[in-house]
Amino acid sequence: MFFRLYKYSLLRSSRDRLTIFWNLIFPVMLGSLFQLAFGNYTEKEVLFHQIPVACVEEEGADENFSELLKVLETDNELIQVQKTDKKKAEQLLRDEKVEGIFLNRGEAGQEDRGISLIVTEEGMNQTILSSILEQYERTCATLTAIGREYPAGIQEAAALLKEDCRYLKEGNVGKASANSVLDYFYSLLAMNCLMGATTGLVCAVEFKANLSVLAARRMVAGCSRFRMLWPDLAAKITVQFVYITFSMGYLMFVLKVPLGEQWGFLLLTEFVGSVLGIFIGFFIGVAGRMQYSMKEALCILIMMVSSFFSGLMTDGIQRVIERYVPFFARINPASLIAGAFNSLNIYDTYGRYLESVGTMAVMILVLAAGSFMLAGRERYAGI
Amino acid sequence: MTGKSAKMKNVKGRFRVNQNENRKKEISYEIRQNNMEEMPMGKKVVEIENLVKRYRELIALDHLNLAVEEGEIFGLLGPNGSGKTTAINCILALLYFDKGSVKVFGQEIQPDSYEIKKQIGVVLQNVAVFEELTVQENIDYFCGLYIQDKKTRKQYVEEAIIFSGLEDFRKFYPKKLSGGLLRRLNIACGIAHKPRLIIMDEPTVAVDPQSRNRILEGIQKLNREGATIIYTSHYMEEVEQICSRIAILDKGRCVATGTRDELKSMIRMGEKIHMEVLELQPFQIEEIKELRHVYQVEYQDGMLEIRCSGGKHNLVHILDYFGSRNIGFGRVYSELPTLNDVFLEITGKELRDAAETA
Repeated sequence: MFFRLYKYSLLRSSRDRLTIFWNLIFPVMLGSLFQLAFGNYTEKEVLFHQIPVACVEEEGADENFSELLKVLETDNELIQVQKTDKKKAEQLLRDEKVEGIFLNRGEAGQEDRGISLIVTEEGMNQTILSSILEQYERTCATLTAIGREYPAGIQEAAALLKEDCRYLKEGNVGKASANSVLDYFYSLLAMNCLMGATTGLVCAVEFKANLSVLAARRMVAGCSRFRMLWPDLAAKITVQFVYITFSMGYLMFVLKVPLGEQWGFLLLTEFVGSVLGIFIGFFIGVAGRMQYSMKEALCILIMMVSSFFSGLMTDGIQRVIERYVPFFARINPASLIAGAFNSLNIYDTYGRYLESVGTMAVMILVLAAGSFMLAGRERYAGI
Repeated sequence: MTGKSAKMKNVKGRFRVNQNENRKKEISYEIRQNNMEEMPMGKKVVEIENLVKRYRELIALDHLNLAVEEGEIFGLLGPNGSGKTTAINCILALLYFDKGSVKVFGQEIQPDSYEIKKQIGVVLQNVAVFEELTVQENIDYFCGLYIQDKKTRKQYVEEAIIFSGLEDFRKFYPKKLSGGLLRRLNIACGIAHKPRLIIMDEPTVAVDPQSRNRILEGIQKLNREGATIIYTSHYMEEVEQICSRIAILDKGRCVATGTRDELKSMIRMGEKIHMEVLELQPFQIEEIKELRHVYQVEYQDGMLEIRCSGGKHNLVHILDYFGSRNIGFGRVYSELPTLNDVFLEITGKELRDAAETA
């Protein structure tokens, strides 16, 4: 009987268009949109275009500044300098062919002359140009002060200023570095797992006789209703697992999202996530006598709130939760699932992974035990 | 079922129940019928004794007593809210009840009485089928909850499809079926496994007349083939048409039980005569009341209604009176008492009025 009922349950799931859309097609669409939005998240550095800037040198211009601009253009490729006269420079600025004009009329720091930056709008490029000038003026002022106060140390000061001091060094704790963009995809997969709550809910409604006439009809059949429940649950878990595997495959092989290479653990995570989602819905279904629409709304609410706090919609929310409400981060289903995926990618060891999966397993056991206690009653006060 | 092994008796090929008292009983379905003498409770398939069921302050079943005998179509007639469905749900062990007992095939029925439940077919008031499965798949699904053998099940499913007249619709999904066809599907799912006892809870609600007649014919056919049927309805015409014995329920109590004729003989009214009379004087109405067997006369809006108790030639006597007094009249027709009249006399309200009130 098990396989026959399992077959029928699979058949029903394959014909349920609404579930196919929300549990399969929607996550795929959302993943595609994420890909469009985040683009080249695998590159370590953001692509940077050279900033076009005009340079007007008048009589008495600071040659050191001209040298600096040359270095920034050729060695660092930070800016692209066009040397021209003032009139042409202003025309270029009006035509938006340059982001700003460096007016070099003398040494930095002079009141009437000196070096100035002319811009027509505010933006990142203008800020960078302004930073270049500010840093140059500061350096000049520093060296001038040292030369005046302690001339013997001027060479040493110049050498120190040349060095690029970095007080922080980026390192990896595991195989790969953390990538906040990938967190969105992990949260997406977590949400996909939790979408199984609605199918678990349907399972519950078709099981309890006081929730649907179909359940009442099945309850008066000549066999234990648990013999009808197990195939239903098994089929729902199978279908949800297939949907998530498809989503993951799409992300990895079509969208080329590097979710990881440990296939066994990835599949285990999504399986446990699927079971968790199904049992959340089943528990909500058998608990209480709310209308079906209210229970469905509750499933969706749990799914969306859980996904939000796992970082699906806002980067960094996980860190806020971890800081201020760490307990919630430990029991939030979506955080656990996303965390499991993330830890496979980041860490060399499986401690964090097993912690997440273990917590999910415990939650499944608790939900299952609670569900069967609530659903075990076979007679009702009213139908 | 008794501890003794049941003797098997071949009847025209309907049901067989195999029993093995040494190990847990398994039932497979073929086509024989249990010998009735082995049943310790006689021919009673369902026995309800002193059943009380409350929904908080509301008493849904008030010391209900019923007995259904094997081979009959037993009607449960009553307005909405009289307790028919509650009684059915108690028989099926779906509901707790506060007092009394319910026995099916001589045994107290429990939620895990699967051996008993395998012999029961259920057609609930609301259609209970899977929207995502076709007609054939639905019938196969429900039949499969009772019949494990694939070959037997296939045969039964086919017979159920033919019986319900759904041959042309086997690949249709329920949402594509009309109300009548959906009800037929519901029935097919309930009887496909050829049960000994079939419980039908208002199976013709919201069904077109053609489908309704078909359903009623099918029920009678099932009964001819050996099934005991409990049929609930608030349509007295259906109950009068097909039921061999009827129980009338009102406010959770059985107010009368018997065959159609027995119920009608319980009441005073034997015949009701309607006459169109343009003008009738009060003294004439009194004189009509004095006629033999006449116990009630009502005259309103030109229509005279005369209720007679018993008697064979009431109409002749009344026409004689009109003739002797030269009172003109139009259409005349006579009708025998209906179950509605039985209900009216016993409870003081009509079945339809009670249905609307409920």
